[in-house]
Amino acid sequence: MRPATLARLAVAGTRTDTARVVLTGFSAALATLAVLAALTVLAIPEVPGDAWAQAEQYRNNLLREPGLRGGTAFALLLLTIPVLALAGQCARLGAPARDRRLAAVRLAGATPGQVTGIVVAETGVAGLLGALAGLAAYLGGRDLLHRPDERGLLPLPTDVLPPAGAVAAVVLGLPVVAAVASALLLRRVTATPFGVVRRVRRRGPRPWPGLLIGLGLAAFAAFRPVGLWFERQQIEPPPWLPPVLLVGGGLAAMIGVVAGTGWISYATGRLLHRYARRPAALLAARRLAADPWAGSRTFAALLAAMLFGAGAAGLRAYFTAQDELYRRIGAESAGGGDFYLDTMDLVDLAVVVAMVIAAGGLVVALVEGITARRRTYAALVATGVPRATLGRAIAWQSLVPAVPAVAVALTVGLLLARGVFGSPTAGGYTMTSCDAGGTLCTDPATEARYTRTEWVPRVIVPPDVPLEQLALLGAGALAAVLVTVAVGLLFLRAGTAVEELRTT
Amino acid sequence: MTELQARAVVKAYGPTPALRGVTLDVAEGEIIAVTGPSGCGKSTLLHCLAGILRPDAGEITWRGQRIDTWSEAARSRLRRTEFGVLFQFGQLVAELTAAENVALPLLLAGTGRREARTAALTWLERLGVAEVADARPGEMSGGQQQRCATARALVTEPRVIFADEPTGALDTLAGEQVLTRLVRLAREQGTAVVLVTHEPRIAAYADREVVLRDGAVDHTGLGLDASLAGGPR
Amino acid sequence: MAGVSTPHVLLGLLATGTKHGYELKRAHDARLPRARPLAFGQVYATLGRLQRDGLVAAAGQEREGGPERTAYALTGDGRAALDRWLSEVEPPMPYVAGTLFAKVVVALLAADVDRARAWLIAQRRAHTERLRELTAVKTSPTAALDELVAVDFAIAHLDADLRWLHTTLDRVADWHREVHS
Repeated sequence: MRPATLARLAVAGTRTDTARVVLTGFSAALATLAVLAALTVLAIPEVPGDAWAQAEQYRNNLLREPGLRGGTAFALLLLTIPVLALAGQCARLGAPARDRRLAAVRLAGATPGQVTGIVVAETGVAGLLGALAGLAAYLGGRDLLHRPDERGLLPLPTDVLPPAGAVAAVVLGLPVVAAVASALLLRRVTATPFGVVRRVRRRGPRPWPGLLIGLGLAAFAAFRPVGLWFERQQIEPPPWLPPVLLVGGGLAAMIGVVAGTGWISYATGRLLHRYARRPAALLAARRLAADPWAGSRTFAALLAAMLFGAGAAGLRAYFTAQDELYRRIGAESAGGGDFYLDTMDLVDLAVVVAMVIAAGGLVVALVEGITARRRTYAALVATGVPRATLGRAIAWQSLVPAVPAVAVALTVGLLLARGVFGSPTAGGYTMTSCDAGGTLCTDPATEARYTRTEWVPRVIVPPDVPLEQLALLGAGALAAVLVTVAVGLLFLRAGTAVEELRTT
Repeated sequence: MTELQARAVVKAYGPTPALRGVTLDVAEGEIIAVTGPSGCGKSTLLHCLAGILRPDAGEITWRGQRIDTWSEAARSRLRRTEFGVLFQFGQLVAELTAAENVALPLLLAGTGRREARTAALTWLERLGVAEVADARPGEMSGGQQQRCATARALVTEPRVIFADEPTGALDTLAGEQVLTRLVRLAREQGTAVVLVTHEPRIAAYADREVVLRDGAVDHTGLGLDASLAGGPR
Repeated sequence: MAGVSTPHVLLGLLATGTKHGYELKRAHDARLPRARPLAFGQVYATLGRLQRDGLVAAAGQEREGGPERTAYALTGDGRAALDRWLSEVEPPMPYVAGTLFAKVVVALLAADVDRARAWLIAQRRAHTERLRELTAVKTSPTAALDELVAVDFAIAHLDADLRWLHTTLDRVADWHREVHS
């Protein structure tokens, strides 16, 4: 197949396909930006000889303090998770139509490899262009934002660049990952030219994603003990270990929550089927049990945002508790608490942004599901099923799995934050102090007289469970689902037009 | 006695007229075939009669009442209670079992689940597909699916069944199994059937045949414009 | 139904056991419902020829208060002839023949297009009526298998005729339109 043919077939689709390509590129650009930002923070050089010396050239404490930079980079990396979830959802946009088109290409004699080639080309090129756009935005933004204030302090680390190798790896790696993922998603179409001809009843999902969640939680919980262990052994932990624990654990937990939604859909579907009295609930119950992964696909980005948001809420609770701790032991918090809480406001903003992105993904997925089934819906309306019943069925089938899935995501997110940060603790050790000023204290003769050793009592302030914030997040998520359902119903109206009944 | 009536029905999709003034009576318990070449407006007429589409002009009356002016909700209710609808394919809900698909209209009418299931099983039995009651449409043959759809159309014991090429996707024998049962049961129940088809052998199941051509009833059976044919004979 | 080989049908009926003439006629009418009924004269004439050719043989006589009746049985040659006939493939429509077809051609030749069309319409109506009658047999709850098989055969042929009538009518109309515009 010549590249021209490949390109022609890759762009042969409708406007939906164009939208998918653009969104794929867009999410690739967002992900690139987030990863590059994280790398930049990590690239800030430590002052030689003093691991704890502040990087004096920055205005912001998150960048100045070496101890905080890891966390900042981590938070930036975490932001890529909802973005990646969005990318996954966009990949589904127009997928049934594309699958049919590719099946037709297969029937025309294309080999599975050629069909995969078409999709990989589409996703890979879109991803690469997106990543390059992200890189351009990053480099441009770097120039634009390089504005030292009157004291010569920088608001952002615009004076350092991540190593060129790392940048190249990101810009080239993201499209490759996207292409491989899309090739995997396409297995079904390439396996048989007919796509899915006859559905056989499959076993329902098992609750194994619970294991992944457990794994993620364990990785986060292990973060501090592992660090302490290395400290006690007086060796530096390998540089890859902390990010692997955090990113790997975070990904495991997120995949667990998202995949677990499949099981939740299936289980709630069966439960609903047992108790459903009205046709709307019956339709929703059967749909949930028949295609439980629809829930995972639909809610992926939203759940990722929930996870992130709950983690942020946990972090905020931790900082509040830390403030409380400082207050109790009478230490000067030096405005640090406020600073952290201000930072948390920024993080919350990021959560809101992630939720908006997720709501977009939700609309995409739901409308996709409705248009894919428009023939059945049109036939039902023709036989006299009121549209309101179909609307209720769609609302049921969205909300029933969403409520428990959001609850799980919020819980897991909170537990992740708890795992890493635990409870702020002070004291629990002996302190030696000398009250008598420099000369007396440094003189070995008098030192002992003025020095006293005292036991500093251990103070632990367990952070509150940020119920209010979690409730707000959950309510926001469910509101997003409801709004999405409302938008979906608009499409249902068009989808049930009688034209859909015309043969073939 | 005439139950359903179309009077000078006109319907256009954009600039293309699909029906250009069709008048048709459906008597109680009558089986009537609407035939004609593809694109003649057969399906559009059926959709207008069944209250799925609203005609641009003309009237549809059901037992003396104009239904084309009714609200969508009222027409939905009518379709659910007095009418049954059967299409070529794809009308069963893929996730529901055969019995649940057949029970659906009863559930919509407020019947309890157990009672609805019993009725559904009875009708599946009458259509000769009791053995697939707990299978999903994807697990059945095309003929079985159409017989389930027929059971669903009949389960409310409607007054009229609208069937749009109900055997179009089936082989001869499977199609015959659908049609013979539909016609036999409709006669038993005194249900009228409006059967849209382009095949003479399917139209032969009806008591009467109405030929449409270019959106109008072709009384001449000539397949010519009136001007060329010299008017109806 | 032209072209049905009555001798072979009789041989086939005798293959199930010895029968006399009247029994053969009854078996024929029962086994081939909706075929043209066999006349007695034809049964006896055919049996005579079969006996002459050694394909059947008289297997005894019986007399039950009526005229004497001869029972016939299949001979070895008769069995062979029957087997040959059963394994022979019928030539698929070696000649295009048929009254319907001939009438259209003659009408176009000897009369005019309108005449041909009027006949086509009348014929189509008659065919449709007959098709409807036969289809009604299928939907009756008591239809037996023999009858369904027979009706299916007739319906398939009527359907083929009807399709041809439709197409010819359209063709004549097209031709008419082209000539007159």
